[in-house]
Amino acid sequence: MSKTFFIDTTRCTACRGCQVACKEWQGFEGNQTKQVGWGSHQNPPDLNPKNYKVVRFSEQKLKDRVAWNFFPDQCRHCVDPSCKYPADEYKKGLVILDEETGAVIYTDACRDMPKDVFQQMLDFCPYNIPRRDEKTGVINKCDMCVERVKEGLVPMCVKACPTGTMNFGEREDMIDLAKKRLGIVKKEFPEAQIIDEEAVRVLYLVAYKPETYFKTAAAKPGTFDVTRKEALAKMGQSFRNFFRV
Amino acid sequence: MTNHWIDIKNTDCCLIIGSNAAEHHPICFKWVLKAKEERGAKIIHVDPKFSRTSARSDFHVPLRSGTDIAFMGGMINYILANNKYFKEYVVEYTNASFIVGGKYGFSNGLFTGYDAKNKIYDKSNWKLEMDENGLPKRDMTLSNPRCVFQILKNHYSRYNMAKVSEVTGVSVANLTKVYESYAATGRPDKAGTILYALGWTQHTVGAQNIRSSAIVQLLLGNMGIAGGGINALRGEPNVQGSTDHALLYNILSGYIPMPRADVATFDDFIKKVTTVSKDPKSVNWYQNRPKYVVSLLKGWFGDAATKENGFGYNWLPKLDPAKSWEKGDASMFFFFDKMYNGQIKGGSVFGMNPCQSFANANKVRKAMANLDWLYCADIFNNETTDFWHGPGMDPKKVKTEVFLFPSCHRAEKDGSVSNSGRWALWHQQATSPRGDSKSMGEIMVDIMNEVKSLYKKGGTFPDPIVNMDFFGKYDAEKVSKKINGYYVSGPNKGKQVAGFPDLADDGSTVSLNWLYCGSFTEDGNLMKRRDLSQTPLQAKLGMFPNFSFAWPMNRRIIYNRCSVDKNGKPWDPDRVVIKWEDGKWIGDVADGGAPPLGMEKGKLPFIMTAAGVGNIFGPGMVDGPLPEHYEPIETPLKTNSFSGQIHNPCAKIMYGEMDKRALPGDPKYPIVLTTYSLTEHWCSGSETRNHPALLEAEPQLYVEMSVELAAEKGIKNGDVVIVESARGAVEAAAMVTVRMTPLKVQGRTVHLIGMPFAFGWTKKGVGDSTNRITVSAGDPNTAIPEYKACCVNIRKADKVTELAVDGVTSENEMTGGNHV
Amino acid sequence: MNITRRNFIKATGLGAATITLGNIGCSSASAQGYSKQLKIKGAREVISICPYCSVCCHFIAHVKDGKVVSTEGDPGYPVSQGALCAKGSAMLSQINDNKRVLNCLYRAPFSDKWEEKSYGWMVDRVAQKIKETRDKHFKEKNEAGQTVNRIDEIFHLGSSQMDNEELAVTGQAMRTMGVVHIDHQARV
Repeated sequence: MSKTFFIDTTRCTACRGCQVACKEWQGFEGNQTKQVGWGSHQNPPDLNPKNYKVVRFSEQKLKDRVAWNFFPDQCRHCVDPSCKYPADEYKKGLVILDEETGAVIYTDACRDMPKDVFQQMLDFCPYNIPRRDEKTGVINKCDMCVERVKEGLVPMCVKACPTGTMNFGEREDMIDLAKKRLGIVKKEFPEAQIIDEEAVRVLYLVAYKPETYFKTAAAKPGTFDVTRKEALAKMGQSFRNFFRV
Repeated sequence: MTNHWIDIKNTDCCLIIGSNAAEHHPICFKWVLKAKEERGAKIIHVDPKFSRTSARSDFHVPLRSGTDIAFMGGMINYILANNKYFKEYVVEYTNASFIVGGKYGFSNGLFTGYDAKNKIYDKSNWKLEMDENGLPKRDMTLSNPRCVFQILKNHYSRYNMAKVSEVTGVSVANLTKVYESYAATGRPDKAGTILYALGWTQHTVGAQNIRSSAIVQLLLGNMGIAGGGINALRGEPNVQGSTDHALLYNILSGYIPMPRADVATFDDFIKKVTTVSKDPKSVNWYQNRPKYVVSLLKGWFGDAATKENGFGYNWLPKLDPAKSWEKGDASMFFFFDKMYNGQIKGGSVFGMNPCQSFANANKVRKAMANLDWLYCADIFNNETTDFWHGPGMDPKKVKTEVFLFPSCHRAEKDGSVSNSGRWALWHQQATSPRGDSKSMGEIMVDIMNEVKSLYKKGGTFPDPIVNMDFFGKYDAEKVSKKINGYYVSGPNKGKQVAGFPDLADDGSTVSLNWLYCGSFTEDGNLMKRRDLSQTPLQAKLGMFPNFSFAWPMNRRIIYNRCSVDKNGKPWDPDRVVIKWEDGKWIGDVADGGAPPLGMEKGKLPFIMTAAGVGNIFGPGMVDGPLPEHYEPIETPLKTNSFSGQIHNPCAKIMYGEMDKRALPGDPKYPIVLTTYSLTEHWCSGSETRNHPALLEAEPQLYVEMSVELAAEKGIKNGDVVIVESARGAVEAAAMVTVRMTPLKVQGRTVHLIGMPFAFGWTKKGVGDSTNRITVSAGDPNTAIPEYKACCVNIRKADKVTELAVDGVTSENEMTGGNHV
Repeated sequence: MNITRRNFIKATGLGAATITLGNIGCSSASAQGYSKQLKIKGAREVISICPYCSVCCHFIAHVKDGKVVSTEGDPGYPVSQGALCAKGSAMLSQINDNKRVLNCLYRAPFSDKWEEKSYGWMVDRVAQKIKETRDKHFKEKNEAGQTVNRIDEIFHLGSSQMDNEELAVTGQAMRTMGVVHIDHQARV
């Protein structure tokens, strides 16, 4: 059995309870952010070593309405996590796929990982998730609050959510819930979809095409079509722009 | 709220107007979404800005700030013209059938009885006619041209679609969409709710904005029912409680009017505040007021309060009579002006930050420096506690002696707060207060006891102080027992009263607030209850009658007798609030225990009004019995499309040297500014600016503006701009967004911009108070300033000062998300 | 393995839930040994209420050794059902914030700094100031000769941050002193 998140962005009000709850639980300091030169409610602008979770805001004027889309972005805890390949190749046990929960965990020992291996992890990640604290070397991202989950609690972001956007539970249950909601949402938003359903343990339901939320809401093109063999064969080369389109 | 948070889920149509519920009461949106998903309710957001609330609504309708009465007047007109009202309800439960006296009239924006010199109305001109038995004259056919219904119809016939659209900037198509959706709730089996907040109160027509919703809700039969009501989403954490307990100049606890100098004796006062009705069908609840007044005075003065001395009435301070727009008004709107003029010597500010949050803050900041002494209690330093070294202030020239008491966090004390749905909720102390911090209650009690001991040795008019029955040491549980009230003499001496029917006017009971009677009885502290059990009927609506205590008398939906017909049968069998069954009410605690109206001993449903019905015609308002559109004090227009009276004729306007304002249509200030709060900061921001995760999420003052305005002014997203009014200037980062829409008003384009007010100088680089540019004008009923509409101009800044942080202003390449 | 991961998952036709981690060629291990200890384990739970908006969401304070170590929403409050917005979620930071005022502070006339004082000193001096001002300016009659028994020269502001009980004692204190310039955030 493994756990899965279902994130129903059609319910999200961007109250950012999840973003802050995550930060508080992890005990992270604040980043110095700004509006000058930025001009957006999306703050911090991106995931970083002190934010496992960032609510992304995107807005557009449609024919007869404004669409303001919110996307609580985080690690997708891939069923087959590609970030793990380069890590394993370098040294087994640094990146762990927790059998019980399905959580992808970056252990503390990752901090000693060479620069190029981290770069490969980032390049392999279909969603541009892993972050490194340049000062300490720590490599991190959402850990599914695995210590809570193992005690029967839900991750902190799910606990905080007021609207039913963040859901967490057994994978089958979450898939059922996601499909049920998709059926309802599709009536109003024909483009609605669940992003990369089979490949991830964080299922996002979106009302519009994923790219209207942000660039890597869905997997970077190509990333899920690369075989493990191909990936391993490429290992050691510079991957910097391999998947970039 | 007449209803409560969870009840929002029971609605068929949720009109959010003058509120940004998803951002300012984020958790309540759970219930809004539930109504949408489970009942198929329509969610409508009417607001100048497209916000996070709009994003989750069925549709958003932008309107020009300050034109809500035009918008709602149009809705009243639509309801009446298209027969969408709930006739039986309107005839039986409202004053629509009442006959308005001959002196009432309305012409060119003015009601009869206006005294231009004092900017005040003589309300005796708006009286309803009584018959020879002292009962209101009624025409149950609603056809008499002098009946409220016909006067209403006539008044709002002027609010046609074209005119409303021209004033509000809302397209006729959008008006029609909202009116149709909302008016559809005027059926017995449909419910519509109105959620409003400061977006409605902070206008020079604020109270009348809310009156307009009362009219709509009464016409549609939406008061007293599940999923209906008028729901003020109270702002502050315990603003419900602080209003109930009357930390306001104009009332005493439980909404007892504050004594005025022309009411000299206790007997006169009792007569004045006790309403009379000759109608046996009217409960006329305020006939009980003497009991509440006496129990309060008895609570304050103990044994020293006797029948002979009018229970200490003479010791109470008296306001001057309200003989003009400014006379007898002791609100902060006026006392900051007095302070500015050197007439106030000292005072206290507890858990508040007026140098940041009050309108025309430059003046407030200057005024503070005129004080001899000031004591504050707060959890963080803020722009008020530290005013003496703020921008433009030279500490060496500020004489004020300032005391700052550290107050503790709520988690460090016991006590109760009241949520917006009137639930009094007990919270427990988790840890002892940090450092030297103490609860504000403890600080207040200790200071007062010291004052008392000084007066025991003599002083001016010492009687009320030395005779006060106070607490030796602050103890929340002990105080809450006294708030509920107990017997001080008679056979039950020492026992808690069970409810306000137990209170007496002979001095045998005390209660610090009659509304809270029943919260702490002989059964214990009901505010601590966490029992989620409900009957199936209650569970269907989510009433939770065994969780905490809701005033009054644990009633969850007030005016609930309106949810049934004359025989006690619910209008909507699917949403039963109360129901008359086997000779008693079941469901919620019914408003007064009397049988349904149609039965013997039956009573009218609105137990708090003397006539027993809902007031469509409201002769108690300072500025007119029917809401009328007036332009904000600062308006981009030169004329009012509805009348020759451009502003509210009773508006409170300051005329001092620092109270400058733009004239109507002033080309120097053509843009409408509306101000607001935001999810990530609390009010003035003095607390939340200190929390890393919150400051990170909303780090600096911004101004939201349309793409069109930005293009016109040559402003790019993220640019530093100056926003200025006749009173000052503010620096902000431009947020250029499709969420702001230029509006077509009186045939031309009017631009609106919006700014939060949570950023202040005590946190470096975040910006400083937006209220430095807001206007010194307020509502005539409440003296709440017009934060929501003033006129400004905007330009690109030449240099960055207030928003300068190391390394921040040099980078200008970033652009936000998919932001334009 | 010559099959793409996406295709593999589809090819099984079983749905993702039935795939075990082993059969897609991924080594797996328990994260138990690597995950942190649950910091709220063994903590005392106390119910308090968020001091921001009027929804009054309840939160659980987890207390260990007299210190709040974590806060999260209280599922027992039927309005919030355990949820908290951004502000409510930042409760731990607020309680333990190192920028909180923790000492009684005094600023003398024309001074440019705060000084730390004892609580007792502050209470005594404030009481004296109140008495001096009240004794000097107390007004028994207004211009019209009507009895008013009030002190116009003293004001009180706030607060809706107070508990009901604190409000009750504040209201009583102000009224008995004769203060009429009383207001709070209801007008902000």
